[in-house]
Amino acid sequence: MKSKPADIQLRRLDDYRWEVPQTGKMRTRGLIYATRDMLPDIRSDQSIQQVANVATLPGIEGASMAMPDIHWGYGFPIGGVAAFNLTEGVISPGGVGYDINCGVRLLRSNLSRPEAEPILEDLVNALFRNIPSGLGSRRKDLKLTTPMLRQVLRLGAAWAVKNGFGTADDLLHIEAGGQIPGADADLVSDKALDRGHDQLGTLGSGNHFVEVGYVQEIFDEAIAHAFGLFPQQITVIIHTGSRGLGHQVCDDYIKIMMKAAAKYNIELADRQLCCAPITSPEGEQYLAAMAAAANFAFANRQLITHWVRESFEQVWPAGPRALGLELIYDVAHNMAKIETHTINQVTQKVCVHRKGATRAFAPHHPEVPEAYREVGQPVLIPGDMGRYSYVLVGTPQAMVETFGSTCHGAGRLLSRHQALKAAKGRSILQELAAKGIVVRGASRGTIAEEIPEAYKDVDNVVEVVEGAGISRKVAKLHPLGVIKG
Amino acid sequence: MLIVNNSDPHKSKSGYRLIAHSADLGFRLYGESLADIFVNAAHALYGVMTDRRKIRGLECREVVVEAPDVGDLLVEWLNQLLYLFDTTGFLGRDIEVQEITSQRLQARLRGEPLDEERHQLNTGIKAATYHNLEFKETADGWQAKIILDI
Repeated sequence: MKSKPADIQLRRLDDYRWEVPQTGKMRTRGLIYATRDMLPDIRSDQSIQQVANVATLPGIEGASMAMPDIHWGYGFPIGGVAAFNLTEGVISPGGVGYDINCGVRLLRSNLSRPEAEPILEDLVNALFRNIPSGLGSRRKDLKLTTPMLRQVLRLGAAWAVKNGFGTADDLLHIEAGGQIPGADADLVSDKALDRGHDQLGTLGSGNHFVEVGYVQEIFDEAIAHAFGLFPQQITVIIHTGSRGLGHQVCDDYIKIMMKAAAKYNIELADRQLCCAPITSPEGEQYLAAMAAAANFAFANRQLITHWVRESFEQVWPAGPRALGLELIYDVAHNMAKIETHTINQVTQKVCVHRKGATRAFAPHHPEVPEAYREVGQPVLIPGDMGRYSYVLVGTPQAMVETFGSTCHGAGRLLSRHQALKAAKGRSILQELAAKGIVVRGASRGTIAEEIPEAYKDVDNVVEVVEGAGISRKVAKLHPLGVIKG
Repeated sequence: MLIVNNSDPHKSKSGYRLIAHSADLGFRLYGESLADIFVNAAHALYGVMTDRRKIRGLECREVVVEAPDVGDLLVEWLNQLLYLFDTTGFLGRDIEVQEITSQRLQARLRGEPLDEERHQLNTGIKAATYHNLEFKETADGWQAKIILDI
């Protein structure tokens, strides 16, 4: 499977779907969601080859898929979705990624844009003060003992709520209730625990952020109403994951899975695809360790939510009830989960890997929170810090076609080095301030790396998933204030 | 996109280059000896995270890593340095390889913990990956390529 990306012929199925025909050792076809205009960019790296490589893994059900924000990852492409049956299928840490349960949560408020604008700068400063961000960010006020950390790994966001960070109502609005079952802290290494002790409640660096924005446009009023969204409303997006603890779990289990792949005679097109049968001891152990790291990430976003609420209260002393900073939803985009899906009219359990892809369940699915059961699961798609983000909703088509999955973001256009070059001699902070966006970052360098033009326009990505029918647009959010890692 | 960043301008066979791709970062490493590759990899790593010139040599750390082969040893080495940074904030300035085989590395690092007042905070690195990992002996010494998740 060493052919160059350009060698792989894609077959056009319709305006939004391209098939990677089943050839060689592929056990199924590949399916890429994209417009024709996106293809040259997708072809510029190895991501199509990676879609084909994933299709060679044992027990794959349906197609090896990639969302329109596809780009090359490590083994599995970013934007990849692949489901495996539980009889001969595999689980792969590379199909989840290093940042286990990296995800996004969205808060609503009772504030409107005109009310918030005068306090915006103070608010962003308060957020920046209260939420550690950037390289090596750690909490000086919250260092967890090992027994506490083990509880976090077992209970996830529920641990945070139990300790006064948030409300029981928050838990009803998180994927899996903010607690992936089967998490086992004993399967998380001491090294991973070491990295987690003072990183809970921190943002980290890279593309992670907290963004205050407003509802710029509503596409579906009934669904927006069900989500508690109204025009000009102030919203908050939190994007982060499981920090060093999750990275260590991934690294630990990649080493285990390299041995396991050899032990179970699984032929790998790429070492980073290393995996084990889902039902093998190695597979079960990874799932339990991954669940623990995922719970750490849910707790992380829950704690950050607490400090977001506190920051608002510091600059808008009307009290929590008047602010109405309620959780709309929290959804992961780096995860593998055992889910029940119907494949060729047969209902069966599969392990769905989503790596840079978001779960997007349809109306009436039992895992959609009761408040949204009639309309479908909220899907949160962050864009860059200068443009906009989207709230989408899951559809029945996604259940049929993508195991209830959709895109996860804009995807980078420029390398970090190119972005730094493009930002040289400019004041990015002033440029964004001129557009009415207040930005605070741990360093000028990381802000320059994250300039809006470094990202693709998330509009194009969202147009594909809506055009293909695997999710629908509900609202567009425009940034007002951002803290970056 | 390549940036030449030789650790010693008089010794062009040893150093590192950054490989910058849209969403990722990698290092192409050159060394006259096997040990050079590991030293240069550490410098490259710290150079991405901060301005290395500001790191002072105040404290020492001993690092021992083991792996089945020399490529994996490089991944293990960088991930161990990231672990050290995550848990203690340690940034290395002088890196001395004390013992090296293709399966085991023992090194001594002199540096200091991150000080937000003094050190520039640049890119955070999640992990060194096995993706497209290359490690080879050449006529001039050694060459390696490693991709990082950031």
